[in-house]
Amino acid sequence: MPRYRMMYAKEGPAKYISHLDLIRAFERAARRAGLPFAFTQGFNPHPKLSFAAPLAVGTAGEAEFADIELSTNIAAGVVAKSLSSAMPEGLRLIEVRPVAQSAPALMAMVDRAVYTARAVLADPPQNETLRGAIDSFLARPQILVERRSKTGEKRKCDIKTGIFMLSASMNNDIIELVAELKTGSSGNVKCEELITAFMEESGLRAREGFALSRRALFSAGRSAREMLW
Amino acid sequence: MNPQLEHILSQVKKPARYTGGEWNSIRKDWDRTEIKTVFAFPDVYEVGMSHLGLHILYDIVNSRRDATMERVFAPWPDMAGQMRDNNLPLFALESQRPIKHFDIVAFTLQYEMSFSNILYMLDLAGIPLLSSQRNEGDPLVIAGGPCAFNPEPIADFIDLFVIGEGEDVINELLDLLLAGKQKKLKKNELLLKAVEIPGIYVPSFYEVSYGADGAFLGIRPAHPDVPERVTKRVVKDLDAAPFPLKPVVPITAAVHDRMMIEVFRGCTRGCRFCQAGIIYRPVREKKPETVLRQAAELVNNTGFDEVSLSSLSTSDYTPVLDVIKAITNEHAGRGVNVSLPSLRADQFSMELAREVQRVRRSSLTFAPEAGTQRLRDVINKGVTEDDLMGAAGAAFKEGWQAIKLYFMIGLPTETDDDVAGIARLAGEVLALGRKSGVPRKRLKVTVSVSSFIPKPHTVFQWEPQELLGSLRSKQDALSSQTRERGLVLNYHDANLSFIEAVFARGDRRLGNVLIKAFELGCRFDGWSEYFNIKLWLEAFRLAGIDPEAYAYRRFSYDDPLPWSHIDTGVSRQYLVLEHKRAMAGAVTPDCRSGNCPGCGLCPAFEIEPFYAGSDL
Repeated sequence: MPRYRMMYAKEGPAKYISHLDLIRAFERAARRAGLPFAFTQGFNPHPKLSFAAPLAVGTAGEAEFADIELSTNIAAGVVAKSLSSAMPEGLRLIEVRPVAQSAPALMAMVDRAVYTARAVLADPPQNETLRGAIDSFLARPQILVERRSKTGEKRKCDIKTGIFMLSASMNNDIIELVAELKTGSSGNVKCEELITAFMEESGLRAREGFALSRRALFSAGRSAREMLW
Repeated sequence: MNPQLEHILSQVKKPARYTGGEWNSIRKDWDRTEIKTVFAFPDVYEVGMSHLGLHILYDIVNSRRDATMERVFAPWPDMAGQMRDNNLPLFALESQRPIKHFDIVAFTLQYEMSFSNILYMLDLAGIPLLSSQRNEGDPLVIAGGPCAFNPEPIADFIDLFVIGEGEDVINELLDLLLAGKQKKLKKNELLLKAVEIPGIYVPSFYEVSYGADGAFLGIRPAHPDVPERVTKRVVKDLDAAPFPLKPVVPITAAVHDRMMIEVFRGCTRGCRFCQAGIIYRPVREKKPETVLRQAAELVNNTGFDEVSLSSLSTSDYTPVLDVIKAITNEHAGRGVNVSLPSLRADQFSMELAREVQRVRRSSLTFAPEAGTQRLRDVINKGVTEDDLMGAAGAAFKEGWQAIKLYFMIGLPTETDDDVAGIARLAGEVLALGRKSGVPRKRLKVTVSVSSFIPKPHTVFQWEPQELLGSLRSKQDALSSQTRERGLVLNYHDANLSFIEAVFARGDRRLGNVLIKAFELGCRFDGWSEYFNIKLWLEAFRLAGIDPEAYAYRRFSYDDPLPWSHIDTGVSRQYLVLEHKRAMAGAVTPDCRSGNCPGCGLCPAFEIEPFYAGSDL
């Protein structure tokens, strides 16, 4: 069955769509677009759709990835055009490319993600102070965050090895953090937990919450990192 | 989206409930639209978006150039808390404007236990609760839906009720409002014009009298130009009636997350407990070609993977089998299947079973309602034990492993034997499942037992509700009788049914109770995690009203009823006759059979039942 890879943005009201609802939204958009799905087998057949990595509710995605399988061959440009006009507000298709049937699954490919996080600070620090805070944060032997297991028990996790990069800058009283974090089925680091740990360490206080955006997803490439195409 | 709302949304559960922007939602130019209305559903988004009436009215109003209809749902308490903390008033999803800036706020009254949420929403909106406290600058607060057939318990809060089917009335009302705006009519002048529209009830133009002992004596117009009785509105031709072919597709899973096609309105069966069976008379079926055309458009316009053929009793739809086959043939390739709401066991066949599961198998529900033939005859349900066993057998043979059964307890004349009959029937269905070879681990018979509530305008409207303690002991008895593996018993909180009965049968004095209950924090009372009987009893105490007098009262045929100024078109004589037949255990034939039971509706409305043939 022909397989297509979609790059899309999830922004505006669509930021708040949960992962489960997002799957449904894509399925419905594809049906409205009149695309011939390939279906899974079984009692409850559903279209073959797979996503690179779930996005936390409230976090925008600027270049997210998903694969769809169709039952007949259609030019990628046609898929893109028909699907684009059937997407709900805030889900924006950026590009569609055919991928080989044998290509690895997106979930297996994804290795890291780049996030930006912005917030208004209560007592904005000098740029130098901020740089110092980042350096001492990253210099810690361990960066522990609290997670809950499925049974609800709290436990401490070290996320240090999952932080590939963290930088910060001030623009008036707005802080912008940029982070590159381990993403995928093992060692995944959530941007929110990184921010919580950093804010605790630095003693900075945000007036309201952070606005988060996942800017890009990468695979572990041969040399450094590559997009998920 | 404004930054304040963004910040709030990051703090609440399921924020997609509050964002709008769904596929097919309509955002009009605010300044260029003369009449702004908002459909207000007094429950959470996922429930409200499952309501077909919302989609019907949204479509009708938004297809006018001069009017807009937006949507608002009851915010979950976490959201309401954030809104209060941040001084953000209740807003509509499309424009995110406060609902108090609209011309009309239109509530739907689907169940009595949502009344507290109407007060909760008005309060969050900053709109005064009582219509007597609202002034010219406030929106007109209107309401419709099944509970408008006894509007009195919430009459203090609503400026105007629409009785019956809203498709035609809404346009007449908007035309009036438009003319009223141009002539700069005061609210009271506008309401006086509104009562000239059939089906419109303005409670402030009526006065209620009570006896020295507190008994309800009657309700009369307090103004010369106001009708004594308000008769419900009926859509004559369902094929010609507007139907939403581009409904808003929920962005977060609705309770009924599928396309809905109404295949007919009304019901011919005449079950004596059923209010819908009275207020939606007569039966008007949609022609099969209309249903198929609507299905095709809906698949293209929504992308849903399931079509629900909805009605009060879909297996009674004359061309049901042909229509299901045709829809499945046309759309199965796109992964679309057909589902049916609860079915009559006497209309379920192997063939029907086969058709509804061609793409994927949905759940199967039958509603025998009572455990013995004697009681099923009293309620005029008609279905026999053989029917149920035949239907369950067909379902098991076709591969179903789980079946749901709906029953009621507390029905008039019910004995312990009737209650035991529920457990016995469920046990027999379970045994049949085993005999049919369903694996023991998979076999499941779910028995849902609700408590009977005597509803206005039904044959049982004069009957009292069964005492709480007695309902509870019947529930306990059922629990001990359904211990077998594979049987699952669910029953409703009897306290909730008690309060529901009070408001179903109540009069205008209950408005005070609602205010007290709201002040004590009652809201989302249809949700077991929020319903709190202690708060309700306290509200009744503070208002000086005895709830038992409402729930447990047996009316005589001659007693004035708080809802008698609302006319369903079904005659009182018919209800009396049917009540007597019920007590005698006499069955009345289905009106579809050609033996007209003489309810009086057709001559009153100059209308006839319409049954669709099948040319498919």
